[in-house]
Amino acid sequence: MKLRIFNRNLAGKHGVSTLTSKIWDFTGTAILNLFMFLFLLAYLSPLPFMVIASLTPSDQFLDANAPILPSTRVKFNYEGKDLIVYHVPTENGIKQWALYKPSRQFSDFIDPQNPQAGPIRWDGQWRGLKAVYKFQPTLDNFKEFLGITKLPLLFKNTLAIALISEVGVLLSSIAVAYGFSRFRLPGGKYLFFLLIATIMIPSNITLVPTYFLYSGHMLNWIGTWLPLIVPHFFGSAILIFLLRQNFKSIPRDLDEAAMLDGAGPLRILVSVILPQSIPVVTTVALLHFFYIWNETRYTSLYLGIAPNLQTISFGIQRSQSFFFTPEALMVGALVVMVIPVIVLFISQRFFMQDMIVTQIEK
Amino acid sequence: MAMENVTGVIVAQKIVKSERIKREVWIGLIFLSPWLLGFILLKALPILAALIFSLTNFQMLDPAGTKFIGLDNYARFFGDLQAGASLFGSLGYFLLTVPLEMVVALVLAGIFTSARLKSKRMSRTLLFMTSIIPATSIFFIFLGTLQYAERILVDRMGLPPINGFGLLLPFMALWSIGPGFLIMLSAMESVPNELYEAARVDGAGPLARFIYITLPMISPAIFFTLVVNLTGAFGGSVLLDRGYILRFSLSPMEGYINQMMFTESELGYASALAWVTFAVMMTLTVLLFRSASRWVYFPEEDEVANI
Repeated sequence: MKLRIFNRNLAGKHGVSTLTSKIWDFTGTAILNLFMFLFLLAYLSPLPFMVIASLTPSDQFLDANAPILPSTRVKFNYEGKDLIVYHVPTENGIKQWALYKPSRQFSDFIDPQNPQAGPIRWDGQWRGLKAVYKFQPTLDNFKEFLGITKLPLLFKNTLAIALISEVGVLLSSIAVAYGFSRFRLPGGKYLFFLLIATIMIPSNITLVPTYFLYSGHMLNWIGTWLPLIVPHFFGSAILIFLLRQNFKSIPRDLDEAAMLDGAGPLRILVSVILPQSIPVVTTVALLHFFYIWNETRYTSLYLGIAPNLQTISFGIQRSQSFFFTPEALMVGALVVMVIPVIVLFISQRFFMQDMIVTQIEK
Repeated sequence: MAMENVTGVIVAQKIVKSERIKREVWIGLIFLSPWLLGFILLKALPILAALIFSLTNFQMLDPAGTKFIGLDNYARFFGDLQAGASLFGSLGYFLLTVPLEMVVALVLAGIFTSARLKSKRMSRTLLFMTSIIPATSIFFIFLGTLQYAERILVDRMGLPPINGFGLLLPFMALWSIGPGFLIMLSAMESVPNELYEAARVDGAGPLARFIYITLPMISPAIFFTLVVNLTGAFGGSVLLDRGYILRFSLSPMEGYINQMMFTESELGYASALAWVTFAVMMTLTVLLFRSASRWVYFPEEDEVANI
């Protein structure tokens, strides 16, 4: 038994493959890739619905018989009036007629093919008829949405807050992670435990006192960007942790070589550690960017009174309360997620590649 | 004479060495200083302040009427059914969503290690993409999809209507696998190949290799994901923050505290609740860390402090 398995592997390794093993190989690959394809299809299936909904005229959902894809009712202009066209069952099969004069028991219709013939009387309740639709996506939802939200302003604010705080969080987190990964400190182990513990502190517990700190009683920062930016200049515990784990996995030999050449600690960080940490630094920068982009809680707390300083997620959430149609809400949902998704696709070469959370010696 | 010289050199070396260690400590502290300062100003002091608030009847609307009321807020918590329900709700939220999230992430990561899978980079980005969608969007995506599903399945195909709203939690969990998936995948990719080769020679099949080699080797990554998810369920930091739907959090306990803070303006009681949550979470984390020595594989003695 053992020997047979051994032999099969040997055969595979040295390319002495038989026809059956080739077929086996091919089906295995096909099944695996098909599974992944189907999984992704199901996994991402809600996204197309959102795009479809955002292109759908808002009155379409009121009609239960309306098609799934964005469409409008077919209309026929008769004597200067737009009449809605219905599927009307007659003795000669189903006709597409425009409703001219609706009544309870019978209604008058116009045949668009032959309008000169005048109104045709049809016996039956017109409310039971199905309207004729034609496929026609609309951008009206986007226009309505852009009319209500100050998108360029929100976008500019978010970008400014993201970039300024990005500089702060990167500078400080990289420095602290370097400090944790390369310097032997008395009690350094406990300091590191403290760092991990900070990750687990629920944000609620610090919320009231920090709000008090930023309020008019002490710093008077409410209604400015400062409470959203300044805390990031002290580093972020979870980002420091990720950076530190990756810095630690870089061999020390390189530092020591640079040290012998007379390089100081800062020089080693910039020219030895950072060039080897591009993926993790990119990851950390992006994690922070996504955080700022999605963040609404602190914005609502500190910028709730300053509509011109708000960020995109909060601004769109706020404007969503003005919309009544689900389609316009979908537009908001689509607009707010587009930029992070594009950023993710651009950076996919580096983003979260080799995320080492604990070292496994290779 | 010569002897004295040698001792002199040794003493000088010792002084130089201790000077170097002292210097290392100072430089290290300078590098750590941003975080140390932030920790004291924005974490330690506010947490202590919250502890003091929790012993008072501090109310936003009436700050002048603040009085020291001892442990009354904590006593109130034990009588507050809704607070207890929210706390268990958070725990339930963790127990419901996290295993689903982690098992799916683990299986997908396992599939991704196969060399036979094509266009991996695109697939992993697509899998990750859903995890960065802001909370603002995700709720409407879910509702919209539900609406369409109803139109197609119920109106057109005549299936019996179901209450799809209960699917929100599993949906959110599945759409949040990104970070866990990539962390486990990175861990799997760094498992030394020789281990698999050796197991193969011993006749272990793919499933046996996954259970006996992959799982133990990536247990630190699993542990890390578990801790981060636990943190998230009680309102701590997570790798990817989706933000809130206005002030609503998906964590019931966090939601209840926010309600006390913003709707009821009872800052004293809210602080007490936050402290209770903090204590519960820390207890759970300590238990998790205690259990780690039984099932998490740490490559070096020194590395126990790593996570």
